[in-house]
Amino acid sequence: MNPSFNSTRRRMLAGALGAAALSPVSTLSFAGTAAGPANGNRFVFVILRGGLDGLSAVPAVGDPEFAGARGQLAQFGSAPLALDNTFALHPNLAQLHAMYGRGEMAVVHAVGLPYRDRSHFDAQQVLESGGARPYELTTGWLGRALARSGSKSLALNTAVPLVLRGPGVVDTWAPSTLPDPGADLVARLGRMYANDPALATALERAKALHFDNMMPTETAGDAMKSGPRAGGNFTVLASRAAEFLAAPNGPQAAVLEVSGWDTHANQANPNGPLANYLRQLDTGLAALRDGLTPSGTWNRTVVVVATEFGREVAINGTLGTDHGTGAAAFVLGGAIKGGRVIADWPGLAKRDRNEGRDLKITTDLRGVLKGVLSDHLQVAMQTLNNEVFPGSGSLKTVSLLKA
Amino acid sequence: MSNSASMSAAIAAHRFGLGEASLDAVGADPQQWLAAQIGPADAPRGDALLNTAQALAFVAAEREQRRAVKNPPEGMTAEQAAAQAVGARYREVAVADARSRLLTAATTTRPFAERLQWFWANHFTVSLAKGSTRGLVGAFERDAIRPNIAGSFEQLLLASTTHPAMLRYLDNFQSAGPHSQIVGRAARRAARTDESPRLTGLNENLAREVLELHTLGAESARGPNPAYAQADVTQFARVLTGWRVGYQDVDPARNFDPAWHDPGTKTLLGKTYPQGPDALRMVLHDLALHPATARFVATKLARHFVADDPPPALVDRLAATYLRGGAQLAPVYRELIASPEAWSPQAMKLKTPEEFVISSVRVLRLNPRVFDRADAKSAAQSAASIATLGQRPQAAPSPAGWSDRAEDWLGPDAVWKRVEWSTRTADRLGTSIDARALAAQSLGPLLSVDTRTQLDRAADGSQALALLLMAPEFQRR
Repeated sequence: MNPSFNSTRRRMLAGALGAAALSPVSTLSFAGTAAGPANGNRFVFVILRGGLDGLSAVPAVGDPEFAGARGQLAQFGSAPLALDNTFALHPNLAQLHAMYGRGEMAVVHAVGLPYRDRSHFDAQQVLESGGARPYELTTGWLGRALARSGSKSLALNTAVPLVLRGPGVVDTWAPSTLPDPGADLVARLGRMYANDPALATALERAKALHFDNMMPTETAGDAMKSGPRAGGNFTVLASRAAEFLAAPNGPQAAVLEVSGWDTHANQANPNGPLANYLRQLDTGLAALRDGLTPSGTWNRTVVVVATEFGREVAINGTLGTDHGTGAAAFVLGGAIKGGRVIADWPGLAKRDRNEGRDLKITTDLRGVLKGVLSDHLQVAMQTLNNEVFPGSGSLKTVSLLKA
Repeated sequence: MSNSASMSAAIAAHRFGLGEASLDAVGADPQQWLAAQIGPADAPRGDALLNTAQALAFVAAEREQRRAVKNPPEGMTAEQAAAQAVGARYREVAVADARSRLLTAATTTRPFAERLQWFWANHFTVSLAKGSTRGLVGAFERDAIRPNIAGSFEQLLLASTTHPAMLRYLDNFQSAGPHSQIVGRAARRAARTDESPRLTGLNENLAREVLELHTLGAESARGPNPAYAQADVTQFARVLTGWRVGYQDVDPARNFDPAWHDPGTKTLLGKTYPQGPDALRMVLHDLALHPATARFVATKLARHFVADDPPPALVDRLAATYLRGGAQLAPVYRELIASPEAWSPQAMKLKTPEEFVISSVRVLRLNPRVFDRADAKSAAQSAASIATLGQRPQAAPSPAGWSDRAEDWLGPDAVWKRVEWSTRTADRLGTSIDARALAAQSLGPLLSVDTRTQLDRAADGSQALALLLMAPEFQRR
């Protein structure tokens, strides 16, 4: 037998025993490494790929320029849900609105990245890498933040998204319709991968998830038919994420992804794609909360929902919006001081826009993320400034947690 | 190339092709075997395939059918029944398209040409992930990509950019010139009825992605001397106005409707182009010959066949060949297969799920009937099962297409699903195939000692087969 395989096996057994001691009734536990930090805090990052239109999700209905600047996009199927004198939520975000009312949800508006151009792919690279420019960094900010504490993380996807890549341990999970292979075959594969570390590591992690934990065996296969990053299964994935996160020895962080926000056309339609995606997002985030509440995990959880960029303020030629800069983000969880919209509002008049087109960015998303990582996951400020978001030392940190 | 002939044959079969059950298929001169395949891709195999004109007629007919059916089943409104029937017919087209793609790849004797076809179909992604492409994705691949993979890049670019599937996928069919006749009419109608006009101007989606994903590349827009900027995107979007999908009144050969076109000249990338449909061809000509495009295409080709981070010297040579040949692609392919960097016995690339499944079918000599529609639900080799592996055929998640880097396919769950798939496939074959003999015939000198040892020690025939499918030298290429 391959010696390195043996020692990994021993570590996994130790981990599994530790989990069992903490919670004899737990059916879901993470075996691969030691448990996360003692406080058991959890962090969830939800990536909205495609560029969510922040002014549709969180319309600034009280801004005197809003109706004029947005034209048909200022019309909603039913009345937007008021947050304060200036801002409201899209009518399809009813459950987020309820969380806001309970102080469990905050909005950060006119938020964005140091990146100011309009390419999805470059902007997502910056959003996930934590760099100041595309491809400056090739691992993810969350991966680097968690590596310091040796915490584990989980991607609710077949692949590992860039944001979680780094030196640490990442598990991935997605529903399957295929049968589990036998343990004997997997052991042999492990030996066959002696000289292929990448395949060996992936197999080892998958094995820990599938064999050493009682994985939920019923599948949601049909929901995954459209492949990874599809929007329709967000609620399934969010519920599953909650199960993993609620386990005492579960991952400290999870990442979920939802695509479909690139609304170049037909955005104004109250039954169009954006309205549907927002309803799905609302349902999924509520499912996440519901799954984390019974165990009390919700009170130790912070969720950040962010997108790579916002969209132009004005409607385009096809009742949609083209790529812009300033966006909106959501911060949720029982651990946060919500019920507020955090925005240094730049205004919507043409002269107040970036290049006369987009909502200006007045809050750097990295400041929000740094605040959460520091206050909630106890990542040292020096680590945040030097490794997680290099060169962000002078950035104002946004504080979101309960005092 | 200092490899033995059999090592070169194995590399040709697996790295440049789609796997062969026996390396005899490659013959004595592997490089010549590949060079002889350079040309248009094979005619697609399969039944019930629509060409572009038929696909457009189908889409137009389905738009009519959407309204209602006369005698809906109980518990359904006429509209619901109609929508269901329309959805079922679209699914039939999608199933036939995916089946044809898999069947052609599984049975072709020109697998290098097929790989190039896949490469370009991914470079110019149109995806079922967006509803507006329904019915057209297969026709796009067959009519815009297949015949054009070995001609000039300019021709390929033109065929892609003006194909109805692309015009719909990236919204150009709805983009109107802000000063076009159609916008003027909409404004006058809106003024009469006191409603907001439905159409007001540009949608710049296609313009941006042609520059960023198809020609110059996003990277060229970064740094101190960007190859293009937002103003170029907007101007290009103006050039593209009028290029839309005709339903009735537009000549399908041109897909250009002057009523939607923005009048006036357009200036982009420092050059001025005239009003009208001819400007698009001129812009695409200039984009095809741009040095940034040469570099972008060279990098992607080298990344696809050689390494995730390809050797810069190889990229330089491919880009130079591209420019020297006026964007002709065949010389670039010949340069690639003549490059020593491409023949390293160390396999640097991980197969995508689709490559993995097709090469398994070829190496195991499975009956191509595994792709038949009747089997779509149960066959492990169906498009649906490739979707479970993370890559639903013809449904890439974004206009950037599927990733061509190993790290994006190496998530633990992704690898686990390949193990599950291999187990199921091997279980069905049982002991009918000797995995040890097959490994030697198919992989030749690529077969490692570690893998051979595991195959020799396997508990039974089907376990040995599963091990072979999951072996590093079969997962990589």
